Amino acid sequence: MWSMGLERLNKKGQMKIQQMAFMIVAVFIFFILAGIFLLRISFAGLYEDVDRLEREQAIKSLEVIADMQELNCGSSEYFCLDEDKLRIMSEGFSMEYEDFWSVASIEVRKIYNTTREDIECPDINCNYYNLYDSGQRNKETESTFVSICKRVRSGDLRYNQCEIGKLTVGRFINE
Amino acid sequence: MEDKKAQFDFVWLFAIIAGAAILTLAIYGATKFSDTTRFKTDSKIAKEIAIITDSMQAGIAEGKTSSISLNQRTRINNICFEENFGRNSISVSTRSGIGEEWNRNGVPISVRNKYIFSEKIIEGKKFIVFSKPFEFPYEVSDLTVIIPKEKYYCFSGFEGILLENIQSLNLPNAQIENCTIELATKICYGPGIDCDIRVNGDHISGSVIKSEENIKYAGNLLYAAIFSDKEIYDCNVKRILYRTGKVAEELSIKVDLMNARGCSSNMKSDLLIWQHLTTNATSDELKTLSNQAKNLESKNNGELCGVWDWKD
Repeated sequence: MWSMGLERLNKKGQMKIQQMAFMIVAVFIFFILAGIFLLRISFAGLYEDVDRLEREQAIKSLEVIADMQELNCGSSEYFCLDEDKLRIMSEGFSMEYEDFWSVASIEVRKIYNTTREDIECPDINCNYYNLYDSGQRNKETESTFVSICKRVRSGDLRYNQCEIGKLTVGRFINE
Repeated sequence: MEDKKAQFDFVWLFAIIAGAAILTLAIYGATKFSDTTRFKTDSKIAKEIAIITDSMQAGIAEGKTSSISLNQRTRINNICFEENFGRNSISVSTRSGIGEEWNRNGVPISVRNKYIFSEKIIEGKKFIVFSKPFEFPYEVSDLTVIIPKEKYYCFSGFEGILLENIQSLNLPNAQIENCTIELATKICYGPGIDCDIRVNGDHISGSVIKSEENIKYAGNLLYAAIFSDKEIYDCNVKRILYRTGKVAEELSIKVDLMNARGCSSNMKSDLLIWQHLTTNATSDELKTLSNQAKNLESKNNGELCGVWDWKD
């Protein structure tokens, strides 16, 4: 009789320990799930921030690139690209600038009085300069209008011959 | 009875140990989470600073001045790498409330197409950022200088163009002559009393003497030399001179294209020599180079079709 009572008490004690162990495991799982949930929310915000900052940088870099001495018409002109420099850059000189750009790609298109099809320069009647391509396939683009000018001479007269163009930069997107 | 007591003790002991473990884990998790969040914020600030330097581009203006305000005391770390085009690596760390005084640096952001001059570590809640174009003799790039707003400067003895240029910076933490702030860093032109920094030269070239070091400058590099560490200055000057050489190379190819369509120029050989002189030059050669740059500029101005900065 006495030993049966003791056995019942032991079983009751074991039950309590089991209950507590299950409870602890449940609490652990709850904390882990809550942690993962918080991390997910936090990192979702991080991806959005990275995307926003990359977009901001691409938009700002349009002005920076258009104003670079390697491409612009001169320090006194704004959003004006020198056609000679575009040609030099697109013919391989930009390879030396490979790590220099903060964007995924840089292209310039003449948009006035040209065919819709891209004809890459220096071909005849070309309208498209591919200045840099990082090779990233997943990218979004931002663009701005620019003047594309070259200095020409006719007799004693020197003047800038300009066309309307579009400068397009590609921005990195997380793949 | 004894068994019940043992069972009771064991349950309590088990609960205390498990509770302590859960609490420790929770505190550890919370600290790590807060560290990660802070690391993320610091990395974001560094990226934003890099973007701000883009909008600080002077463009056709003589220069631009702006300020950055942060929510808490922050350290901006500037490391410069000089190989070829080189880069500035900008990272940020904020003040911590727990443990170490400063949190570990956020992800460093590389800035390759800008030249950021500052001390290696600048600390504060507000920072002044200004940019000035660097022309050598064509405009190569903008020089961006970052200084903490709480650090004061006093300019003494400056006259003429140099004085006008300093005034045009519109620095809210700088006084010109009649300085009233005691702890301000005193910058004197030529000889002066109690000067921390001395400037010898003019707006074209010269030297800045600070902490017994002689730093050579040309043009707007004067402001970079005043406000920056010598190590950062020398590195950025090497980078910008390398780029000057690359632009010279491009312009020398441009001469061929111009000649082909009758807009001829005799600048090719000069540009190739200029490229050779600048590509591997250091800040010590700036004075000699600035004389060469002046000659190159007058030659370009005399050309029928200028190679850079077209004038009608």
